Amino acid sequence: VLRLLHTADWHLGRRFPSFPEEAQKTLSRARMNVIATILDVARRNTVHAVLCAGDLFDDPCPEPDFWAGLARTFQDRTGPHPPVFLVPGNHDPLMSDSVWAPGHPFRARLPPWVHVVDRDDFSYELGPDAILYASPCRSRAGEHDLAMTLPAREPGDSRLRIGCVHGCTFDIDNYQTNFPIGRDAGVQRGLDYLAIGDTHSFRDVTATASVPTVYPGAPEPTSFDEPGAGSVAMVALFRHGLRPRVVPERVAFWRWIDRRCHDLDELRTLLTIPNLDRHVVRLHLDMTVTVAEESEVDRILRDLQGTEAAHGRAGVLLVDRTNLRLHPGSGGVFPDDLPPVVQDTIARLDRLIADASDEVERSRATRALAHLYKLLQNQDTIGVRAQ
Amino acid sequence: VKLHRLRVLDFGTIAEADIEFGPGLNILYGPNDLGKSTLADAIRLALLLPHTSTHIEEYVPWTGGRDPVVELTFETGPQRIWRVKKEFRKAGAALLQESKNGNEFNDVERARKVDGKLRELLRWGIPEPGGTGGGRGLPTSFLATVLLSTQSDVAAVLKDSLQDDASGTGKERIAAALEAAMQHPLFVALRRATQARRDEAYTDKGAKKTARGSVFKTAADRVNVARAEKEMLQRAVDGSGSVEHQLRELVTRRGHREEAVASATERLAMLEQLAAAAASRAEAAGRVALAHDEVQRIRKIGADVNEAVQAVAVLSSAVAATERTLLAVESHYAEAAAAFTATEDNVRAAGSDPAMTDVVARQGLELRKARAEQAAREAHQQIDRAVAAQRLVDAVVIAARDHPSYQRAANVAATALADATAKQQLLDQQLRRSDVLERALDVRAAEAQVALAQAAVDSDTNLRAQLDRATTAREALAARRSAMTVPEASALVPMRRLAADLAAARGALNVGLVVTITPHAVLDMRIKRDRSRADATSTAVPMEIDANTAVDVEISGVASVRVRGGRRGAQKAAEALEERWTREVAPQLAAANVGDLDALAAAVSEADRLDADLKAGDAALESLRSQMAALDGCAATLLKATERAAASRALLGDTPLETLAADLAALGTDPLTTLRKRRQQLSNDLHTARTTASESSTAHAVATERGRHSRATLDAALAARDAAVADLPGDPASALAAAQTALAAAIKEQQQIATELAAVEHTIAAQQARIETALRDARTAVEQARARIELAQAAKTRAIADHALQAGRLGALQTQRDAEDLSSAENRLQEATASLAALPIPERAKAALDEIERDIQRTHGALEQVGGAVARDRLRDVTEAFEAAERREREIEADYEAWSLLLEQMKEADAAQASSLGQVFAPAVADRFETLTQQRYENVKLTAQLGTEGVVVGGAVRSTERISVGTREQLATLYRLSMAEYLSTAVVLDDQLVQSDLTRMDWFRALLAEKARLFQIVVFTCRPGDYLAANAMAAKGKVVHKDTDGGLVRAIDLGRAVRRR
Repeated sequence: VLRLLHTADWHLGRRFPSFPEEAQKTLSRARMNVIATILDVARRNTVHAVLCAGDLFDDPCPEPDFWAGLARTFQDRTGPHPPVFLVPGNHDPLMSDSVWAPGHPFRARLPPWVHVVDRDDFSYELGPDAILYASPCRSRAGEHDLAMTLPAREPGDSRLRIGCVHGCTFDIDNYQTNFPIGRDAGVQRGLDYLAIGDTHSFRDVTATASVPTVYPGAPEPTSFDEPGAGSVAMVALFRHGLRPRVVPERVAFWRWIDRRCHDLDELRTLLTIPNLDRHVVRLHLDMTVTVAEESEVDRILRDLQGTEAAHGRAGVLLVDRTNLRLHPGSGGVFPDDLPPVVQDTIARLDRLIADASDEVERSRATRALAHLYKLLQNQDTIGVRAQ
Repeated sequence: VKLHRLRVLDFGTIAEADIEFGPGLNILYGPNDLGKSTLADAIRLALLLPHTSTHIEEYVPWTGGRDPVVELTFETGPQRIWRVKKEFRKAGAALLQESKNGNEFNDVERARKVDGKLRELLRWGIPEPGGTGGGRGLPTSFLATVLLSTQSDVAAVLKDSLQDDASGTGKERIAAALEAAMQHPLFVALRRATQARRDEAYTDKGAKKTARGSVFKTAADRVNVARAEKEMLQRAVDGSGSVEHQLRELVTRRGHREEAVASATERLAMLEQLAAAAASRAEAAGRVALAHDEVQRIRKIGADVNEAVQAVAVLSSAVAATERTLLAVESHYAEAAAAFTATEDNVRAAGSDPAMTDVVARQGLELRKARAEQAAREAHQQIDRAVAAQRLVDAVVIAARDHPSYQRAANVAATALADATAKQQLLDQQLRRSDVLERALDVRAAEAQVALAQAAVDSDTNLRAQLDRATTAREALAARRSAMTVPEASALVPMRRLAADLAAARGALNVGLVVTITPHAVLDMRIKRDRSRADATSTAVPMEIDANTAVDVEISGVASVRVRGGRRGAQKAAEALEERWTREVAPQLAAANVGDLDALAAAVSEADRLDADLKAGDAALESLRSQMAALDGCAATLLKATERAAASRALLGDTPLETLAADLAALGTDPLTTLRKRRQQLSNDLHTARTTASESSTAHAVATERGRHSRATLDAALAARDAAVADLPGDPASALAAAQTALAAAIKEQQQIATELAAVEHTIAAQQARIETALRDARTAVEQARARIELAQAAKTRAIADHALQAGRLGALQTQRDAEDLSSAENRLQEATASLAALPIPERAKAALDEIERDIQRTHGALEQVGGAVARDRLRDVTEAFEAAERREREIEADYEAWSLLLEQMKEADAAQASSLGQVFAPAVADRFETLTQQRYENVKLTAQLGTEGVVVGGAVRSTERISVGTREQLATLYRLSMAEYLSTAVVLDDQLVQSDLTRMDWFRALLAEKARLFQIVVFTCRPGDYLAANAMAAKGKVVHKDTDGGLVRAIDLGRAVRRR
């Protein structure tokens, strides 16, 4: 049995501009951290090779932190190691000044068991009866099927033949210029397994065909619309002609979830999600609350998000408050024993809300009430002196 | 405001003065007429009077001289130090400067603008110069009076108010100060926090802050950065879209072009077919013509043959003649030979014929020569046979020697081959076994996963059961808790306090009563003591009723009497507490279904315990749910693991796993790695064994072949040797020696014969030459004729053959020509040629296709530059970021607008609360005034505009005009000091307390010393002893001032600081 670990789309150096700065660092770091996990999985499963099918960096010329970090991750592996094959993808194409270029310092730091696919006719004998063919992307876009550039099987050749390229199968949008890969390319080239990368969710494109063409997906998800991300593909090849066994194995630390809460109960339920600290949560608040309830909403959000003094319960939290609406007016939520001047302030704001000519004015006055309510709830933080 | 320094030149009676003020209490003393009030006026004029005002005239020395000059340095806040210098009168000048350190000043305003700026700084209720309400003389206002009132009317403040101020700035300033003083601490904190939040976003004037680091700027920067990046990527994507569109169009065009080329190629192929047909016809026609020419040529050859036949016949005749001639020559030759023989015989017989003798001699010599040559040849042959025999003998010896070694090598190779084959089979078996074990390991691993998954499923089931139990328990607790209605534990404290108060109040009523009833007739009564039940009784004699707090007597038909202990106030207090108890506590007791506070406390404790249990239950439930969530999908995992196990087992085949147990156990703790290593080793060994077997097989085949060949060689050598030796007269060596001797003799004989024969040959050569010449001539003639006949015959044969061949070809061509329709083909050819001319030339179409291909390559290059899907991915991310930044910016804006609104409303509420300034300010003055007058006066009444209505004496308001001068001056001083304290500003008192007695002066001295710690006080006095101890005054000499009390009190001797005219 020839065992392979197939991965792709690491996107080292990817930015997450819609997240807060600290979360951006966390998510960017996660991409580097998962590589050690992948290599551990490879070693634990005693694979014969690790195939990395492109988009390993998010850019052909990444910041030194990323390529140096990847090189260090490889260097930190002690003892014998199965060969690792790095294939340039459309995000990180092989170019004269790219990280894959032979003269780049990244190359000099790689251990001998890490091989960069920097030739169009790359091949490597994985054993007496198995051979790997691979071809790199040389630009960010292309209309050529790299799988079809791999050599076809010669008559009488009974070895296991594995292909590894980066590209987009015909059933995906805009495939025409994104290195299109024919669904029957594996059959046409006489391969036993075609390892590809691009889509971030795990998918066996040819689940019913004899030659699997598989996207392993990104090992760490990169967005909320990648339900099958977070795995590598474990491949077992038996002999030529027999369909290999392909099983996804989860390696991701983070799970990305997108939740919409319509009331406080739904929001509270969010706190009961197990291992919430390993989740990236995008929360859409779609509800109407009183100023008192909004204070509760803020408390739960603080609980989820954390403060300078305490870690949040969610690993990373992104909140969309666009549809968080306030019931207009104080609604009797303020205590009766407030100083008269404060009560007068509340009454004035209530009058403004009642007399408001448009929603903007009403909303502003209601928000002012909410501010006041929160200040009163947190008197210890605003330095109220004892009377 | 805090004064730093005053310099005066030619001002009134003062020629020059230079005074430095201390931060606290400044006592400026000097005798009458020294110019103290002039200095006080100088301060007022420096701050308030425009330098060109005619009001200055009263300070211009009547003796003439220079114009008055005043320079005042003062401070309005930390690092805000000002210096105003005014040279009065028409030709004068004014300059306002500012400094951060008091040493280096920068010009701020000049001339008329100086006073505008000063009034803006002071905010004393004086409008800008030149505006409405601004008089031409010395401007005044309520605050100017409060802070700088003159010696001439020390109580002026009591007659003034904010009512007459020309500008609202004074009122605003006082209101702000009083608001700050009267605010509730909670409100102060709320307002401060709100102000801080509002100030994060807005300037003092309400404009949005746009400096670096401000919230709006940060948000806007974030939006701008995201927008810029988005637009850049949008351009890239648009470029990509355009290029991709172009590329797709080109690809479509290429498709069309390829179709066109294919179509043209197809038509071209058809045309080429037609052309080929036409060409075939043309070729056939050509071949007909050629065949026709060939026939003509062959016919000509037939004629040539006939001619040749005739020539041959002629030549045959010639040959016959030549033959006849030859026969004649031969006959002649025979005759001559016979004659020659006869002659020879004659010569030989007579010995006299030299010619004959020579011939005979030659013949004899030739016979000898032939014999000698024969002998030599035989000797040679004998030598060759002997040598060959010897070689064969040697070969037999070598072959016999080599053959056994070849046999041994073959045997060794056969053994090695057998060994290698056996080893290879063994390794094959082990390798197959290893594969089986690996599959067995797969099975085991899969079964282990199944076991783990099963354990997870079991655990999940167990957890679900626990969850059900915990849920049930929690519901039971919740039911118990919901049945209880108890207040918060914290509420028990006020209840207990109320209970204690109530008990105390009741205790105050528990005074003990004895009611004596003396009836004049029999009375039927119902008597109720304290809280006991009413008892009915009837008596006609006096009786006493004892009780603790109350007695109720109802005399039937006469009256009801109620006697209660304690004073009315105590009773009311008890009733109020009873009412509170009934309102606040009793419902709680009833709700909790308990009788007293202890029971209620127990119930509260019980409820707290239940709450704690519920919380613990919730935590346990959450823990269970989280554990269950961690097992989510375990059933699917089990199913997958089971399927994988089944698949692995299927791969294992019929081999029972148990039979492999021992082998698997022997693989140690990491069986897969061990197995892989073993398999790798086996593979290597097998490869080695295969190589060895192959080499052994080859070696065996080679050795066998060599042995077999060696055997054959040996046998052949033996046969050859035996045959060769049999032909020899003895052994090969002796035979060789004899043959060599015979050869030498024969050679010697040959040499001798050759010498003799040469002589004879020379003699007969001449005769022979003549005969041979005649014969050669005849023979040549015959040969020539025969050659001619042969040539003719060959030509004839060739012509006949060619003729037949050409005639056949002619027939075939004629047949072929008849089969072709030349005219039809020619027509088709003409049509096809016309069509061909009408069609696009494929090369041209291909060139267009190539052009499109080049365009595609160029476009593709452009696409590589713009980014394609990569740019789209990034644009999606950046668009999300941009939208988030925009949302955030809107949220921030709405948030801060709300903060601003909240602050605005707070201020309005605050201002409404503080609208009556008098109510706020009066207590500050009144408290001190009460103290000063030892409660003779109860209060001071001030109007909303801070006008003084009067003082309260015995509950009635008395006008200040009706109190003594000294007291009025003291009240005015207290008013001014209080206001200066609220405003934290300097106040100038010019001989304010000259009418005060020593006791009150002592009181004031202490007050001034205390207040000097908070704000600056400047006192001009001619009686320094009223304010200073003797040792606090400036020592005699040139020292102008002396500081005491840690610098808070400064005594300034104006006699030294002022130079009079």
